[in-house]
Amino acid sequence: MSINFSSVVSKCCLRSLEDKFVFLSISGNLGQIREKHKINPPPRLRNPTWFTKKLRAPSTELITHENKDFLKEVVQDRFHDKVPHEEITQIEWTPDLQRTGVIARKIGIYPLWFKDGKKITTTLLQVLDNHVIKYYAPEEFDPPRKRVGRIKNKKGCLLLGAEAQDPSTFTREYCGLFKDSGVIPKKTLGRFFISPNARLPIGTLISAMHFQVGNVVDVRGKTIDRGFQGVMKRHGFKGMPASHGVTKTHRRGGNIGGGGEKGRVWPGTKMPGHMGNRSRVAKGLKILRINTKHNVLWVSGQAIPGETNSIVYIYDTKLPLRKPEKPLPFPTFIEPTDNLPEDIYDESIHSFVEPSIMHNES
Amino acid sequence: MFSTVPKPCIRSISNRVKGLTSLYNARSCTSHAGKRADNMKKNMTRYRFIYPEFLPDPKIDFRNPVREMLERNDMIARRHQIDIPEFYVGSILAVEASDPHTPGKVQRFVGICIQRKNCGLRANFILRNIIDHQGVEILYDLYDPCIQKIEVLRLEKRLDDELLYLRDALPEYCTFDPNMEPEILPEDGDVPVNPIKVKLKPRPWLERWERKNLKGLQDLGLNERFYERARAVATPWEKYDLMKEYMRTIPEEEQNEILGEVQSKLQKLDVTKKRQKRKRVFVKPTKLA
Repeated sequence: MSINFSSVVSKCCLRSLEDKFVFLSISGNLGQIREKHKINPPPRLRNPTWFTKKLRAPSTELITHENKDFLKEVVQDRFHDKVPHEEITQIEWTPDLQRTGVIARKIGIYPLWFKDGKKITTTLLQVLDNHVIKYYAPEEFDPPRKRVGRIKNKKGCLLLGAEAQDPSTFTREYCGLFKDSGVIPKKTLGRFFISPNARLPIGTLISAMHFQVGNVVDVRGKTIDRGFQGVMKRHGFKGMPASHGVTKTHRRGGNIGGGGEKGRVWPGTKMPGHMGNRSRVAKGLKILRINTKHNVLWVSGQAIPGETNSIVYIYDTKLPLRKPEKPLPFPTFIEPTDNLPEDIYDESIHSFVEPSIMHNES
Repeated sequence: MFSTVPKPCIRSISNRVKGLTSLYNARSCTSHAGKRADNMKKNMTRYRFIYPEFLPDPKIDFRNPVREMLERNDMIARRHQIDIPEFYVGSILAVEASDPHTPGKVQRFVGICIQRKNCGLRANFILRNIIDHQGVEILYDLYDPCIQKIEVLRLEKRLDDELLYLRDALPEYCTFDPNMEPEILPEDGDVPVNPIKVKLKPRPWLERWERKNLKGLQDLGLNERFYERARAVATPWEKYDLMKEYMRTIPEEEQNEILGEVQSKLQKLDVTKKRQKRKRVFVKPTKLA
């Protein structure tokens, strides 16, 4: 029930008072307000600046072999041995500082053994040719979705690229992203939020030694795409009996809601649908071994999202109780990797070069 | 089942590798070039059976050249530590492994290999024996660093690729003396195939063996309807499916590449081992207890 003062006022022909009373009108049911979307518009989702069309339509130009070789030479001359002008200053790492992550490839799974003879399945992640492409300072980085309220310790954003490819396969716009860095255009990009202190000069190469053996990482990947799946596979429902008079409901979900006041399907009810192909993070994975020659990390566990040969992103862990005890190389490992041993093992891991394990009485 | 008469002879991989070394040395003489190439090819095909776990999983989804290379390097590093001999399903093995529950000792288990599975560092095999009237099976990882020694007591093959039916067989077919002595085979012969036919216990069984097209089984003595069903579910056309065969196996060129690399590394290992053996001095064992 609403009392509309404006109609009363207009009937009394007191036009002068109308405007003043309009503000006082108590209306709970005015109906549609015109141009309401302009008063409080929903946030506009804008893609980051580096989301441009990447691949160029394959050209049908007929180029001779000599010219192809010449183009290769041009690319090599232009992008060969570019070293960043700036020097990296190493700072003492503290737990509140956030380093950059890296782009890697999941290359497979195989077991390692602990020194006490126990077996552990590990996943091999190959750190790719990560180069820094761009850095956005905290004040200039404009995220597509703004957070409400004031943000303390606002992070900067570091854009990394991995997997160099022939620039002629990319669009001009995409190649433009790499123009300032002098880095050869890369197939994969990744952005990492970092403390402003962890800023790296453009063109810096990040190796697997960015991480240390024994430390814990989180790995983000895209899960295997399984398509449209039923509830048994998607949510682990039990299904229904195979026999005993059951007809046509063996793998179905059954009831999806009650009646009465709750007489509808509640939001979030588990039902069949698309499964996989979403970004997921496997947290708290320990680095057990590093190969410095091939830039491979062995991390514990086999449940890392994604297929073999898919791209994953590796971060320092967010888990508060698994923070590293020893200081990390900050902002990254910059010493030459020539003098390092090829394989670095965690102290708990048995190296295959060592003799067989013998359990002795202690 | 085990015979007390020693069978003619064990050959180690070292002998075969020696044969191969001489092949390489003979490279200078050109007159036997074709013959040598044939020999090389023959050796390669043999290596496929001696080191089956060096060939990667043929499933294309799981393959990655860097991972496979790292895995092979680890396997060879482990082979520098212990001698992993040539053996097949049906061979009788003795494995000595260290166990956390019996510290300070090695556990020795003798049994028949009834299955070899997986590739790379995940390769494993199952040994079966009957001890105190109780069937015992142990699954060992081939590259488990707890294994101290793998010894082949009798090198032979059986008629089938898997002997899992020994679980349903009469106990005498998988009872072996734990103190069995290694039997010696003549050098450079083929691995003998034991044509023994196993008698199974009456049903119920763990699997429907009549459907598996097994050669090493005696007459199962089943009702005709079992065989009819087996014929109905059989897929005899699959062996003509070229695409399936291609997806199931590693192409020959790739096999030769992998095995050639492995073989050259293992050959070096053999040479160093021999050198060490010559250097080793005899130490008189002290009598205990």
